[in-house]
Amino acid sequence: MAATAAAVITRPIAPEQASLWSDAWRRLRRNRMALISAVYLTLLVVVAIVAIFKTPYSYREVGVALPYSGPSAAHWFGADILGRDVFSRLLVGAQISLIVGVGTQVLVLLVGVPIGLIAGYYRGAVDSIVTFIINVFYGIPDLLVAMILLLLLGPSLNNIIIAIVATRWMDMTRLVRGQTLALREREFIEAARASGAKPLKILFGHILPNALGPIIVQATFGVPAAILFEAFLSFLGIGVQPPTPSWGSMASDGLAAIRIAPHMVIAPSIALSLTLMAFNFLGDGLRDALDPRSRR
Amino acid sequence: MANPILQVRDLKTQFATEGGIVKAVDGISFELYPGESLGIVGESGSGKSMTALSLLRLVPDPGRIVGGQVLFRDQDLLQLTGEEIREIRGRDIAMIFQDPQSSLNPVLQTGFQVDEAMLAHGKPKDQARARTLELLKKVRIPAAESRYKDFPHQLSGGMRQRAMIAMGLANAPAILIADEPTTALDVTVQAQILELLADLNRELGTAIIMITHNMGVVAGLCTRVLVMYAGEIVEQGPVEQIFANPQHPYTWSLLKSMPRVDALRHERLRSIEGMAPDLLRPPSGCRFHPRCPFRIEKCFTNEPRLEEVGPGQQAACWVTMDRARKEMGADELKDIRPGAGSNVHPGQEI
Repeated sequence: MAATAAAVITRPIAPEQASLWSDAWRRLRRNRMALISAVYLTLLVVVAIVAIFKTPYSYREVGVALPYSGPSAAHWFGADILGRDVFSRLLVGAQISLIVGVGTQVLVLLVGVPIGLIAGYYRGAVDSIVTFIINVFYGIPDLLVAMILLLLLGPSLNNIIIAIVATRWMDMTRLVRGQTLALREREFIEAARASGAKPLKILFGHILPNALGPIIVQATFGVPAAILFEAFLSFLGIGVQPPTPSWGSMASDGLAAIRIAPHMVIAPSIALSLTLMAFNFLGDGLRDALDPRSRR
Repeated sequence: MANPILQVRDLKTQFATEGGIVKAVDGISFELYPGESLGIVGESGSGKSMTALSLLRLVPDPGRIVGGQVLFRDQDLLQLTGEEIREIRGRDIAMIFQDPQSSLNPVLQTGFQVDEAMLAHGKPKDQARARTLELLKKVRIPAAESRYKDFPHQLSGGMRQRAMIAMGLANAPAILIADEPTTALDVTVQAQILELLADLNRELGTAIIMITHNMGVVAGLCTRVLVMYAGEIVEQGPVEQIFANPQHPYTWSLLKSMPRVDALRHERLRSIEGMAPDLLRPPSGCRFHPRCPFRIEKCFTNEPRLEEVGPGQQAACWVTMDRARKEMGADELKDIRPGAGSNVHPGQEI
């Protein structure tokens, strides 16, 4: 009897032992859609990496099949206007989409997080200037900014990423600024200042870790937005240039032949939709998992 | 006594609000001696916390320190650059806050936060780690090694405050400012924390400035006490003396409003009538006069200065309790409404 009592006392209280992140992971795992999406996206990343080294056919080799030919055992998603293998082109397109999606968000983080932290923490003139610039950027249509930049810089993959960042950095900056404004008033920030912490340490060591949840969610939602924007730019012909395939330009190419070869539009559209959906479901799941108020 | 380690002279902290200027701290002066334990007592809004924050120049916006000197080792902290005062914070003068729940960063390991207090002042990482474990043991956190890795929410309130104290002591500061460190804790834990602070004060010789609204805390820990009211010091002196023989009616009322185990059963606990004054429009004359049972005509118009009322004891009062006892029967007074003792009320012909 005494032994059981001792065992009960020494046993750690399980739910309280979990840290913030393991707690979030536990909740994310319970969200089925988010989990399926995560699995799909992992597969997509793996496929995109494999496609660097090996695709069934070369994405640029013309005439490996009959032009406009439909799906078959040799060409799963058929062939396009020049007789190129659509499946191989989709795989390479996945690389482009992921590079654009993730690349823009990495840049958005590099731009938005420091600016947002500084504007929110120091407030005053710095904040006024940052807020003003954000509002100016919000005022100009995204497409106009991207088109002008691409015309000036030329349509390479890097420049597409830069153009998308130019239209998307404001959301992250504003989010981080808002978080910082709220967090800087918290007592532990005052306590950190009272212990002599340097401003950079307070910004990146104390405020940033507390804002990480919303930042991750924002970045996750930013990826599909960037992918869609790239597809849109490529669809318009100012994005990724041929022969490099992008899901957007593939759909655009297929549009002309939609009556005789609908697979040319359907295949990239489904790939695009699935990927966008997966990122959005994952973002939703992360938001629920990382929001301490949604503890279930 | 030795030279004071901290001298505050005519410190003024103000807040510019839409309604006007709030004089949160209005020209206070005091000294702190090495190894001493000084209590600063007052109601909410008396300026005691702002005094503490002003010492380290941590006054929140839109507050400004508009005048005075804070001399620490003969160096005016108010004249230092941002970088210089940052070096003082946490190294020479540390501060612990009221609510240990919100004063620890929720997403960082507790022990790591203690480390950081030292890393901020250039101690190497491995040394900081070793000292943290030593400190956690010193503040009597059991199983310090495993507690090091715990996040704040995994600790109890008392344990969190111990961790905060460990953080405060990390760089062996000359002064530890404790801003109501026991208010958010339950009574038994309060007693443990006070005992811990008293022991540390004795063992390490760290001077403590204890900000509190609780006279009991002062009695348990401090050797000297400042009583603040509406941004000013109304009385100061050695604790025993102030408790035995308070001279300012406000101090007297504070002591009367303190529950005591040795009180007679039929004695009612008295609260101070009225509310703390609006610092946007502080009362004329003595700021306590609208609530004071012993006010006289002079109190309405003339502001009293701190004057010697006993050995080491000063009070800012035209009447003082000696006279209130003698002439107004303060000891027998049951009714402590404003003007009750002296029978002076506003609107009378003065």
